[in-house]
Amino acid sequence: MNDQGRLSTTRRTLLRQIGLGALGGTIAGSIGIHARAQDAKTAPQVVDAPPGHAETAAQHVPFHGRHQAGILTPRPASGIFAAFDVVVASLDDFERMLRLLTERAAFLTQGGEVPARDPKLPPADSGLLGPVIAPDNLTITLGLGASLFDRHDWLAGLKPARLQRMVQFPNDALDPALCHGDLSLQFCANLPDTNIHALRDIVKNLSEFLVLRWMIEGSVPPVPPAPDGSTPSARNFLGFRDGSANPDANDAALMERVVWTHGPDEPEWAHGGSYQAVRVIRNFVERWDRAPLAEQERIFGRTKMTGAPLDAPRASEYDVPDYAADPDGATTPPDSHIRLANPRTPKSERNLMLRRPFNYSRGVLRNGQLDQGLLFIAYQADLEAGFIAVQNQLNGEPLEEYIKPVGGGYFFALPGAAVGDYLGASLVNAARRS
Amino acid sequence: MVGHYLKTTALALALGGWATGAMAADPSLDLVEPLAEYKLYVAENTAKLVEDTTAFTDAVKAGDVEKAKSLFAPTRTSYEKIEPIAELFSDLDVSIDARADDYEQAEQDPDFTGFHRIEYGLWEQGSTEGLAEYADKLLADVKELDARINGLTFPPEVVVGGAAVLMEEVAATKISGEEDRYSRTDLWDFDANFEGAEKIYELLRPLIADDEADFTAKVDGNFAAVDEVLEKYRSADGGFVSYEELTDTDRNALSAKVNTLAEDLATLRGKLGLG
Repeated sequence: MNDQGRLSTTRRTLLRQIGLGALGGTIAGSIGIHARAQDAKTAPQVVDAPPGHAETAAQHVPFHGRHQAGILTPRPASGIFAAFDVVVASLDDFERMLRLLTERAAFLTQGGEVPARDPKLPPADSGLLGPVIAPDNLTITLGLGASLFDRHDWLAGLKPARLQRMVQFPNDALDPALCHGDLSLQFCANLPDTNIHALRDIVKNLSEFLVLRWMIEGSVPPVPPAPDGSTPSARNFLGFRDGSANPDANDAALMERVVWTHGPDEPEWAHGGSYQAVRVIRNFVERWDRAPLAEQERIFGRTKMTGAPLDAPRASEYDVPDYAADPDGATTPPDSHIRLANPRTPKSERNLMLRRPFNYSRGVLRNGQLDQGLLFIAYQADLEAGFIAVQNQLNGEPLEEYIKPVGGGYFFALPGAAVGDYLGASLVNAARRS
Repeated sequence: MVGHYLKTTALALALGGWATGAMAADPSLDLVEPLAEYKLYVAENTAKLVEDTTAFTDAVKAGDVEKAKSLFAPTRTSYEKIEPIAELFSDLDVSIDARADDYEQAEQDPDFTGFHRIEYGLWEQGSTEGLAEYADKLLADVKELDARINGLTFPPEVVVGGAAVLMEEVAATKISGEEDRYSRTDLWDFDANFEGAEKIYELLRPLIADDEADFTAKVDGNFAAVDEVLEKYRSADGGFVSYEELTDTDRNALSAKVNTLAEDLATLRGKLGLG
């Protein structure tokens, strides 16, 4: 839908604009210009925009491909997860919605100029990123919930085999206002404003089809890279590195097995998609901060500062604990989080998933405690063998004293869209055939 | 005075370089008739509001809880239909129609008056005790509103923009069921807001129908879809059942239609050349 020539021109314009912004700072308001014109370049003013980075603003993740972006894509610093109810009366409506959503996502993730409109009309864009949208590493990942398939006859028989409504686990205290949905959108970008802008664009342009149900904004703390450019796993709000044992997203064969849905028991249209398990997990941070360090480390099974397994505290977070040498759990307790979640046996290879979480902070609760936690997002080829099996192994873990899952849902992230195609085309085509 | 507004508009049009196909050569003349008709519509509604509020407040002051309850929702509809105009007098809008959460001390706040304060007494406290002063104040405010509106020159952009304003009202405070939280008569207000928006749209529709066939088809369809959903909740007496009976599916459908109507009707001013 975007021709290459126009895109590259746009990108040049974009770089120029961002470059200028980074050099001079932005002067807001016409009054200020006169007062500050002479020394604006040398003496920053309090309300100048913080200097951005032309390089990161121009980063873009290709939208089209066999799989959707935002799953194997390295996670940037900011994310929004939003769940919607879908209002569509027919398969034709559904196709119109998917096409429009694809069009907006393709534009927003690649960036470009905002179209000008008659000033007597509401502007086409919120304007919060200015006249040129920088891609800023934005990905928008679309998932569908079981309720959508269950409600519409024209999708009968096409629901992915393991897609289901999230059920309450023993430690959960689910808030209905933070659960489920017909459709999910995961926004990830370098800056939170890029995600907010994209969400607002979609809410505005898809008002006919999408009613926002719940959303959570999240972030992860950036870490200065090592000389080889690498960074460790980001820390969660309990202060531990999260995701150390993730399967290698650069191993395509492994991803085919662990992340991308496949196999004869799954509808063919769904091949190349992925189950998305989302959990809003509140952390009792005040209480956690009062727990002894040794207890915190026993609960996780890792060294807090480095992430190394407890049986090799001087190693790195990526070293694999040797549970065979510690059968009674004298070093790594059998009920520690990492040992329960992944006992590192041949059998537990089946239960791998790719975690891609964010931390969230949502103000203060009625009891005066901070409302903070983990926006857990995991992708897997098989929801039951992945998240559901692992969570069942974790039920009753000592960590539960410090965490409380309050929301979330299960969705199926659609296969990717080829250039010229739209997200969900394989599903719509299958529905037309059936 | 109407002429003054219209001349200003025409001048602005001549200076702006953004003429679109949708705009008539001289929209100011085209707007005269719809504006006059709308003024009549508002006048009829404020007269009805005074009449109905008199009966409602009489019932409250007579201590007749049941009668007062039965008159609450129908009395409010004439206010809800003309809210874009009524809102121009923000002092009266606050004293007539504010909700408890507009105040720091909620229901206990001494400044909380009007329809919803009386609604709180009737439904939550099941009594008219202490409501007489609120009833007197409400009736006085409503009469004052009627008088002020009768003396008002209707700004064209407020009337034209009013259709979208009514949809914003529904989207912001009605769809969540927070407007009539004690009586659960929200669907009456929904219906009145939609009727008020549709009235404005219908009056202006002939001005854009030729050039904006896709737009009018879409808006017509969305109004019809809303009517279809609301009809399901009509009660035998011609009113509406409790908001609590609204299903999630229908609330989502209404929400999507309301937001889409708000998006589309927000372009009416521009389509008619009003900035």
